[in-house]
Amino acid sequence: MFHKLFIANRGEVAVRVARTARTMGIRTVGAVSTADRGASWTKALDELIGVGSGPPRESYLQQERLVQAAVQSGCTALHPGWGFLAENARFAALVEAHGVTFVGPAPRAMDQMGLKTPAKRAARAAGLPVIPGSDGPLRDETEALRLAHEIGFPVMVKADAGGGGRGMRLVREPKDFAAAWQAASSEALAAFGDGACYIEKYLERGRHIEVQVMGDRFGNAIHLYERECSIQRKHQKLIEESCSPCLDDATRERIGLLAANLTAALRYAGAGTVEFLRAQDGAIYFMEMNTRLQVEHPVTEERTGLDLVRMQLEVAANQPLRISQAAVKTNGHAIEVRINAEDPARAFAPSPGVLSVVDIPTHLGPGRVRVDTHVAAGDEVPPYYDSLLAKVIAHGSTRAEAIQTLLACLRNARVEGVATTIPVHLAVLGSHAFQSGQYDTGSIPGMQE
Amino acid sequence: MAHVKIVPIGSARDAAIDAGAYARNLAALEERERQLLERRAKVQAGWGATYVERVHQKLTARERVERLRDAGTELYEVGTFANFGRLFGKLESPAAGVITVFAKVHARWCVVIANDNTVASGSWWPRTPEKIERAQEMARRLRLPVIYLVDCSGLYLPEQAQSFPGATGAGHIFKKNALLSAEGVPQIAGVFGDCIAGGGYMPIISDRVYMTESAYMVIAGAALIKGAKSQELSSLDIGGPEVHVHASGCADVRAPDDVTALAMIRDDIAKLPSSAADYYRGGVDAAEPMHDAGEVEGLFPADHRHTWSVEEVLARLVDRSLFKEFLPERGREIVCGVARVGGLWTGFVANRQGIVPDAEQRDGVKPAGILYRESIAKTAAFSRACEADGIPLVWLQDIAGFDIGVEAERLGLLGYGSSLIYANSTNAVPMFSVLLRKASGAGYYAMAGLPYDPIVQLATPLTRLSVMEGRTLAIATYRTKLDANFEIATTDPEERSKLEQAMKDTEARIEGDMDPYKAAAQLDIDEIVRLRELRPWLVALIEMAYQATGHRTVKNPRIWSLHDLDALTEPR
Repeated sequence: MFHKLFIANRGEVAVRVARTARTMGIRTVGAVSTADRGASWTKALDELIGVGSGPPRESYLQQERLVQAAVQSGCTALHPGWGFLAENARFAALVEAHGVTFVGPAPRAMDQMGLKTPAKRAARAAGLPVIPGSDGPLRDETEALRLAHEIGFPVMVKADAGGGGRGMRLVREPKDFAAAWQAASSEALAAFGDGACYIEKYLERGRHIEVQVMGDRFGNAIHLYERECSIQRKHQKLIEESCSPCLDDATRERIGLLAANLTAALRYAGAGTVEFLRAQDGAIYFMEMNTRLQVEHPVTEERTGLDLVRMQLEVAANQPLRISQAAVKTNGHAIEVRINAEDPARAFAPSPGVLSVVDIPTHLGPGRVRVDTHVAAGDEVPPYYDSLLAKVIAHGSTRAEAIQTLLACLRNARVEGVATTIPVHLAVLGSHAFQSGQYDTGSIPGMQE
Repeated sequence: MAHVKIVPIGSARDAAIDAGAYARNLAALEERERQLLERRAKVQAGWGATYVERVHQKLTARERVERLRDAGTELYEVGTFANFGRLFGKLESPAAGVITVFAKVHARWCVVIANDNTVASGSWWPRTPEKIERAQEMARRLRLPVIYLVDCSGLYLPEQAQSFPGATGAGHIFKKNALLSAEGVPQIAGVFGDCIAGGGYMPIISDRVYMTESAYMVIAGAALIKGAKSQELSSLDIGGPEVHVHASGCADVRAPDDVTALAMIRDDIAKLPSSAADYYRGGVDAAEPMHDAGEVEGLFPADHRHTWSVEEVLARLVDRSLFKEFLPERGREIVCGVARVGGLWTGFVANRQGIVPDAEQRDGVKPAGILYRESIAKTAAFSRACEADGIPLVWLQDIAGFDIGVEAERLGLLGYGSSLIYANSTNAVPMFSVLLRKASGAGYYAMAGLPYDPIVQLATPLTRLSVMEGRTLAIATYRTKLDANFEIATTDPEERSKLEQAMKDTEARIEGDMDPYKAAAQLDIDEIVRLRELRPWLVALIEMAYQATGHRTVKNPRIWSLHDLDALTEPR
């Protein structure tokens, strides 16, 4: 096992990775920007190396500096966490080229799954159902329209190189197709230098269901069941839970197996997430694969009793998976909410400032509560980064008990000095729609927008 | 430092180059690229549809190559423009009547030499022997299997004086056959048609010879055999498979038709050792550059006097745009460094353009694109190191020549240059040269131009190859009539205008000679490629350089002598 691990990340991510490293007897070196210097979370690390000023572009995204810091501090492995450079294949290659093990999949797998078309092809080849659409980008509008008729409206036109909603158009009627195609294509050309777009059937009011997978370097791959993340605001997940209230056991086992098959087919080593969309009619389609650990991984950890960061480090150190698929057992129900320093009254605008009180009770029951956080009273929330303050994960023997536990915790939580998203979570968790399990990505239950 | 510390190079297009300049460069290139594609298509059409029809109870040479290669792989053709624009009487000889091409067969790079049966029945024109020999030499240096697809009615006799007696005349092809055989390079031949005289000799030194039922090999055809006519003997009777497979043993296997023979050849190649390239990648996967390789098209100003960024070009040629430069602070006019290309270690030497610090003068600057003492010494050391380490070298030229003048001679550039020439001349490691734009004077030699035996020399539509620019050459020619500032000395208006015209003519003639098609026509350039094709070409060539084991040094990266250069220059 590695003796010293570099964590190329900050805040809650760094704290989470360091916690497991410490239990495994691995020393940790953290990267820290000048804006984070002195923050209480930095105490979770054994050593700190300054990597630049506050803006991520000047520090946490400085690839060469991070690698140099890892090499000079004698680290033999680097954990990218999630966010920042976690899915940057070039960074992974750079780290490996300097003799440091990248805790994550091979750059090749990141390349392949990072692009929509190769990812879809790989999924289809591994036997996963994919959303009907073009196999790869199209340049010809007539060809695209013909295909749109074939798969049926509404369809989505998306730039192949796209992201962040740019170069994306929803088309409900054939008569609107030409205008939408041209708009998406020229937007894509301007933004990415390539006007090619692909089309995909648009599935309304779908549910976002993702399966946690883990593969090792010996060709073994397992899945750790699903998480449902359909409560989203502008594609940002607010609440995640496991198991999904909309799946029956047979479907649950089936999509788990599909995800594990894909992982094995890719010879994928490390933690990953295979994302599915469940359509209103119950059909399930492969969406994409995230080649990293996710923010919401604690939901899976609470239900399976496994430490995913530990598993990542073991795989990176060329150890086989210690657990077989048959030995993966789940227990009860887990729900996670993300408490962000954002003001729901002001369209979720970031709310930086100094925290005067941070008190999230974990003892109120009836289930148990886990809090993953990096902040304490007196800390300043810098303006440069993700506004996440804490993740609160409640576990109960049933879904109702988990909701009850989380509600009790959040009603009594005190996070003061900045505005937070706690009121939103209370509204959603208390809503009938959420409690009944009847929700989807189209709206947020309990909220009028 | 067993880890080669490659680091990010280059930047995204909008940061790399002003959008206006990018668009202008693309626009200036467009016409030349269009011309290249058009000319390529014209050459590949051979003598056209009539002749394709005429041979069509068999396959055409290009159809044979198509069937030979692995589905979905690219062909890399060399010598496309051999004899381009040259007339023999009223006849053209597209590609000199022979296709020479790198093709992947069962995942192994092979050199395929195919007589073009749509051009004068595959006969050999002036320069056809040289073109075939060049392809054989590429195979010999890279230890790639050679596949001959023979369909050749011998020398094109009206021009025999130009292709028969010389040192590289047709007979030298058979010497190369023999040398390849002696050195253990696999050769396989398929005989597909009328193979008379030279066409008969070429296949039979191969390890395996396949003949189709419509093929024959003869020292001389029925037309020259006394009495053949009265006995109703055809060439097929004299030298067909009945004779050569069963009686003479000059061929091994008879095949019913072209398609079957080609399938048999493919099966044979599959029995050879597989490529070692993946072994030498050392667990690192091939990866595309982070910045799109196609963008090089917009990075080069067509005007050879305008500068471009060598870092941005390298960033679009190497895997993941990661590069390690050696001695970056010294001899700035040259970039020496290593990177992975298709996952395989590759050395690069490239000319930097613009203004660089003057090594001989504190705080001084000087124009780059020229070789000075420090960069020559650096390049020689790097070239030797790559040779010692077994790292194939790619030379990216855009060079005006050596520095000249009082200081240059005092510093001994002649001597430094010779040391670089010596290093390159004695290198056994595969070298490939790319003439990006200018390739002038001794700079072209020093940067491993064709006289220094690069295995393949590529050019672009922007290439200008010459001993010096036209203007300079005009000055050199008329120097006795010029003053110290190279202005015309005489005041006599008549003599002055005469001289002006003469200098202009000289300049124009040299400009014309710098046309890359002219150089390619006389085989001084192996292939003119589109700028966006550069990266795929390099990936293919480097993979070929690592295909065969046991014939050259390939050190593992732990024991590179390049590390010594690095250790001595790393900041303490």
